[in-house]
Amino acid sequence: MALAAQPQMPRVWRAETKPHKFCPGCGHGIILKALGEAIDALGIQERTIFGCDIGCSLLSWDFFNLDTIQTHHGRTTPVLVGIKRVRPELVVVSYMGDGGAYAIGAQHLVSSAVRNDLVTIIVVNNTQYGMTGGQMAPTTLPGQKTETTPYGRDVKLTGRPILGPELVAAVAPPGAYVARGSIANVVQLKNFIQKGLLNQIEGRGIAFIEALSACPTNWRTNAAETWRFIEKEMAAYFPTGELRTPGEAKNGQAGEGTPGAPEH
Amino acid sequence: MSVAFKAITTENGKGIFHLFPALCKGCGLCIEKCPVDTIGWAKQLGAFGTPVVEPGHGKPCIACKKCQLVCPDAAIWIERRDGKGRSDSGRQPE
Repeated sequence: MALAAQPQMPRVWRAETKPHKFCPGCGHGIILKALGEAIDALGIQERTIFGCDIGCSLLSWDFFNLDTIQTHHGRTTPVLVGIKRVRPELVVVSYMGDGGAYAIGAQHLVSSAVRNDLVTIIVVNNTQYGMTGGQMAPTTLPGQKTETTPYGRDVKLTGRPILGPELVAAVAPPGAYVARGSIANVVQLKNFIQKGLLNQIEGRGIAFIEALSACPTNWRTNAAETWRFIEKEMAAYFPTGELRTPGEAKNGQAGEGTPGAPEH
Repeated sequence: MSVAFKAITTENGKGIFHLFPALCKGCGLCIEKCPVDTIGWAKQLGAFGTPVVEPGHGKPCIACKKCQLVCPDAAIWIERRDGKGRSDSGRQPE
């Protein structure tokens, strides 16, 4: 037998750095696999710039055979917007966690959405700060136990979890693509990411995809409990689906840029 | 530069189950997603010294490839016994 079986990694993955640096069962691997397959399908490896934020997402700095930049606290988006403005032929992917995108770096996300910048933003939502040990984040579910909310998150004291895609969909002008996927439905997630990349390539506007992810290490869950938490508890608060598509905005349905409920 | 990974190949039901122990971190996500519960823990150890997975614990494999889809480390590759698996996109054997 001449050919030995090899892992079916996306072509854009850098095989020398595998196994990657994420924990066992981490959702980053699944989301980056979906992103890799989307980049492969569009054939844009040669002109894609990948930007990662601080937090667990920075562990993807050597993940791809792509030019990669790492910045701090949500600055990934403005840095990549700068690159895109200087070199419009490039495709830029801003990859952040929910801490960088919604807490410390929310200003950049909101500003980018209002300007309708040509950038594809992928936010990984695992309901807490993974790298620092599982503290409460803006996305922590009501009643969820974390390092800093040992009795469960009290919504009277700390507010309700932030809904990122709804926020972007509310402020972004027509032409934006906004969706929320989940690692529980990888095919749909890859589809969303591919549409998001296309939205940027075709110059329609911002593309924002939130991906519901898992953190078994800090949730302290086994595999069965991890899937239950994503599919039941997270999906109940964070509905998956497309919130804004450029097509509907052109028809004037979202003229004010404020569609109501997510469309399923 | 190409890197070669060694596979443990097991034939089970409709599928040929290739597992790459150097990539498998033993998270168990595939075990929970398998619709016929054929995947279970094996004796061999993986990347982090945790057990890897193998088929042959429940009903025979139906080659649905859900385990391959949810594996965060691309440590599983399912080939169909009827040979359709080779048309998969992705890194081909070199």
